[in-house]
Amino acid sequence: MNATGEASHRLDGRAFDPSFRWRGWALSALVVLLLLLVFEASHRVLEARSQASLYRVIVAGESLTLDAETHAAFSRDLTRLAAEAEATLAARMAPWSQARLEQAFALLEAAVPGYLDWYFSLRGSYLRLAMGIAGDQAAWLEAQRHERLIEASGIEPALADLQVDHAARLADEQRAVVEAMSARLLERYAPRRVADAKTQAAPAFDLDSEMQETLPAALDTRRWRSAALGGSGLGLLAGRPLARRLAASAAGQSGRIALRALAARLGAGAARSFASGGTAAAVSAPTGPGALMVGAATTAVGLAGLVGGEFALLKLQETRHRPAFEARLRDGIDEARRDVARSLEGATSAAAARLAEGLESRSEEGKRMPSQARPDHYRILGQLKRPAGSDA
Amino acid sequence: MARRVRGRRLLHRHGHLFLAVLVLLAWSLASNDWAGVLFLPVWVLATQLIVAGSLEAARLRRRAWLGQYLRDDSPWRRWLQGGALMVLRHQLVGALLALVLLVDLRLLPLSEWPLLLAALPLLVVARNGLRRRLSRHVVAEHLPAVTRRLVTLPAAVLLALALVLAALWLPQPWLIGLGWEEAIARHLPGGEGRALLGFFERLAASAELTRQWAMQNAVERFHLATPVAMLGWLVLLLTQGAVAWAYVRLLVGAEALRREGRSPHTVTTGEPAAANDRETRA
Repeated sequence: MNATGEASHRLDGRAFDPSFRWRGWALSALVVLLLLLVFEASHRVLEARSQASLYRVIVAGESLTLDAETHAAFSRDLTRLAAEAEATLAARMAPWSQARLEQAFALLEAAVPGYLDWYFSLRGSYLRLAMGIAGDQAAWLEAQRHERLIEASGIEPALADLQVDHAARLADEQRAVVEAMSARLLERYAPRRVADAKTQAAPAFDLDSEMQETLPAALDTRRWRSAALGGSGLGLLAGRPLARRLAASAAGQSGRIALRALAARLGAGAARSFASGGTAAAVSAPTGPGALMVGAATTAVGLAGLVGGEFALLKLQETRHRPAFEARLRDGIDEARRDVARSLEGATSAAAARLAEGLESRSEEGKRMPSQARPDHYRILGQLKRPAGSDA
Repeated sequence: MARRVRGRRLLHRHGHLFLAVLVLLAWSLASNDWAGVLFLPVWVLATQLIVAGSLEAARLRRRAWLGQYLRDDSPWRRWLQGGALMVLRHQLVGALLALVLLVDLRLLPLSEWPLLLAALPLLVVARNGLRRRLSRHVVAEHLPAVTRRLVTLPAAVLLALALVLAALWLPQPWLIGLGWEEAIARHLPGGEGRALLGFFERLAASAELTRQWAMQNAVERFHLATPVAMLGWLVLLLTQGAVAWAYVRLLVGAEALRREGRSPHTVTTGEPAAANDRETRA
């Protein structure tokens, strides 16, 4: 027993010698490192041996064969670039459409003095008076504005041209953006392609054709969406040549609507301006036609004096109200321009979103399968209880 | 004041256990990059802890065998007392066990960690109780080692059972009606080719997914009765008991490694009983 005890002491002594303990740690590290090396090597071998899935991507006319990891990075980059495309497209379209809008609305603004001249002319004011007596003054004034201000300015054909040019320009810019995107992707991934690959079995993703598909798709949806949204727009456009009708976009529709709204808005501004002049309606304004009527009813004044007085009163009214009226008209025009600009921007971003959406859905098709309606989780106890409950 | 002193003593006495668990917890919750960087040191640490425990148990067994069958003066005593070969074997097995533990810990949902943390005080309590009971029967010199050896199995079984019960509650991905490849493709986390650790994680995750896929579909397709299905799940989930087994062995090994430092002292001065008693009552 004693000897056994001694042996065990010796054993313990050796085992618990501090240097031996450190040797134990070192041995552990050694074993772990060895295992790590073995695993690493076998991992390498496994990776090299296994038929790592290769992806073929056609970018800018060039076929790249990428391994899975690079392809994942490529997909991420493509998604990112497609998301950036909207900003890029908007930035490229903005100066051009801004300039064109300025140009188109300059016509309208140029027509404002002429309209004001008519408005404050003798004929204009008497016509207003007559229409005011007949009743339907607001609608008549709107028609007049449409005829004398909008049609005379020639802004409608200018806007139509703008629509057509905008669609064409958008398509061009889109193509340019997409080409820049392709070039960047090619530049980035051409050096990372797998060199000696048998590409027959590789599933191909043709970026070029995807983009070509996406581009007309974007234009088409924009066209038809505008037709559907516009509703009455089709009727408005019916008389136009077919080419223009096809090129009409959401921008055009809302441009037209904005013009309609413009006519109405300008009228409202005018009514307000007269209300601020002291009385409720333009008809009974203290000067101008109202004064004439009062004068005719109560006092007998000479016609020449009447005319002279009326003219003087009219001039007075013009000097009093014309600046404010003109300012309102210009405000209205500015607002209409902003509306049209906004709808053009909307068309641009809708096209960009289409592009991004199309590319993203194509590039992630392999990864994300359409999720059917299925529960997210499986709970063992919940599932076991369920059939029992249904049996009962 | 007294409480603080007690807390400090507690920390001092079981600090190694806290430290080991803390390292494991921090590592398994770390980001992928950090986990990859720290993989090697944590693996070495876990291996060393597991090996310390298993070597102690193995030496105990071997010594008992030698004392039982060999004559005192036999040279076999020296040859068989356990040398490089035994150490190497245990290091290898310990490294593999540590690897399984670490990879599984990486995949363990956070909601199962409370169980692992709760196992720590329970283990200490169980060990102390067992040691108090054994102190009347076991030679004082071997008391700690014997206690550690005896406490390992029940603790591991209990922890494994707890983990299995938790797994019954925890949500799994819904895999019914999916092909195996589809299930793997859809639910295997992150396809990025990180280093070896990522590979191991994917391997373990796909093994787990395969188990869940097989059992879910079997239950659903063959309309298994509840007891049968339950039995199937239990058997499948018990393979996860490896985590509990390795974890408890790691804790016990940390204990063994810590107490080893004191052992030569107690053995040579010849008052192990007093030292151990003190430890027991602590």
